[in-house]
Amino acid sequence: MMESFYSKAGNRIMAIAISVLWLVVLYLVLAVTRIDPDQQMAQKIFYYHVPSAWTAGIAFLAVAVSGGFYLFTQNEKWDHLGLASAELGTLFCALVLITGPIWAKPIWGEPWSWEPRLTTVLIMFLIYIGYFLLRQFGEIGERTRRVSAVIGIAAFVNVPIIYVSVKFWSAEAQLHPQPGMSQQPADVYWTFILSLITFTLLFVHLLRNRLHLLKLQSQMSRMRDDI
Amino acid sequence: MMLRVLLRKEILLEMRSREILVSMITFGAAVVLLYAFSFRPSPEILRQFAPGLLWTVVLFVSVLALHRSHSLEKEFDAFSLTLSAPVDRSTLFLSKWFGNFLMLLISQVILLPLFFLFLQLPFPSMPGAFIGLLILVDLGISSAGSLLSGAVMRARVNEFLLPLLLFPMVTPLMISAVKSTAAVMESQPFSQWKLWLQLIVSFIIVFGLVGYLIYDHVCEE
Repeated sequence: MMESFYSKAGNRIMAIAISVLWLVVLYLVLAVTRIDPDQQMAQKIFYYHVPSAWTAGIAFLAVAVSGGFYLFTQNEKWDHLGLASAELGTLFCALVLITGPIWAKPIWGEPWSWEPRLTTVLIMFLIYIGYFLLRQFGEIGERTRRVSAVIGIAAFVNVPIIYVSVKFWSAEAQLHPQPGMSQQPADVYWTFILSLITFTLLFVHLLRNRLHLLKLQSQMSRMRDDI
Repeated sequence: MMLRVLLRKEILLEMRSREILVSMITFGAAVVLLYAFSFRPSPEILRQFAPGLLWTVVLFVSVLALHRSHSLEKEFDAFSLTLSAPVDRSTLFLSKWFGNFLMLLISQVILLPLFFLFLQLPFPSMPGAFIGLLILVDLGISSAGSLLSGAVMRARVNEFLLPLLLFPMVTPLMISAVKSTAAVMESQPFSQWKLWLQLIVSFIIVFGLVGYLIYDHVCEE
């Protein structure tokens, strides 16, 4: 009953496929895609920065949706989905916050700018640190799960307000580049799409892995209670 | 009707003990004094900083009331008794919200004059707009704050979890409050700060609604 995640052949194949895709994307980014005349090599981080932000967005949406389902069904499965998504969302958020300044240093001349999207990601990151502390220090059990669901929902509905307020607060901040992806040349476009797919697959894979672990954990604690 | 009874309970509790208001006002005054000692810039620079300083004092002070409003209920397990009464949980949220709002407002009646006095700032020339703004932002802080304070109530370290969750959550409200207060202090026309007011109102509506709809799940045992 308690088998490891990678004892299933499907999961092993998936892990290998994602690793290969990851290498392909790295090759395409470094060797195939054109070098931007203005930004030079710094532009390449875009193939990792944007998919990280995209994945973090999906993850936080998943936290809010599973939070809603948990409140209505009280089914532990939804809590696990919420927790796993929150962890991964925070991880990808951290990637956004690391890759953003690496790009901004040569392009904007300063690593940090109070740019609306970057600031919104930072605020979400801080809210989720609070979320994990709550899960850590709240009493274990049903109540903490319910309260985490509430915070996941509240954090998500707050996103548009945070974004608009920061946008008008620092109207003079350096603008985030807004490339229209459909007008990009084919090499840039398809590498970006492939990177997006790789990140999304990686997210789903890690999510399933974490869900498996959480399920084992709760089976363990139930067994302990029985003893 | 039920709301009135619950709100009366909140006020009565505070009237008897006065612990929330006294601690809010003393703490707020201490922070204002600290500001007055720490910053001695020219009056013009201080005037530019004033809205930010004002709202940080308010936010710090609000944590005391918000935290106390739920932790008080833990004594003698009072919250379970309240919950066992035939009260709609959403009404319970409204009573916490308005109770906290009242505490904030009353503490500001004393703290604001101290703030302007100690930092030697002129009172805004548009007092109506300023006070209206104050009321709205207080409503915003107490809506999100009451929900979160209820959420962390049973956690072991709720005193530090509350500000940890509250501060990032109210960032948009604080930005809007600081920006619109600055505009009011400089007597700018309404069209200049209308957007900030809209943001404050949307924050109140969003958190008021979220709290009203899901507080039930927060307080359930």
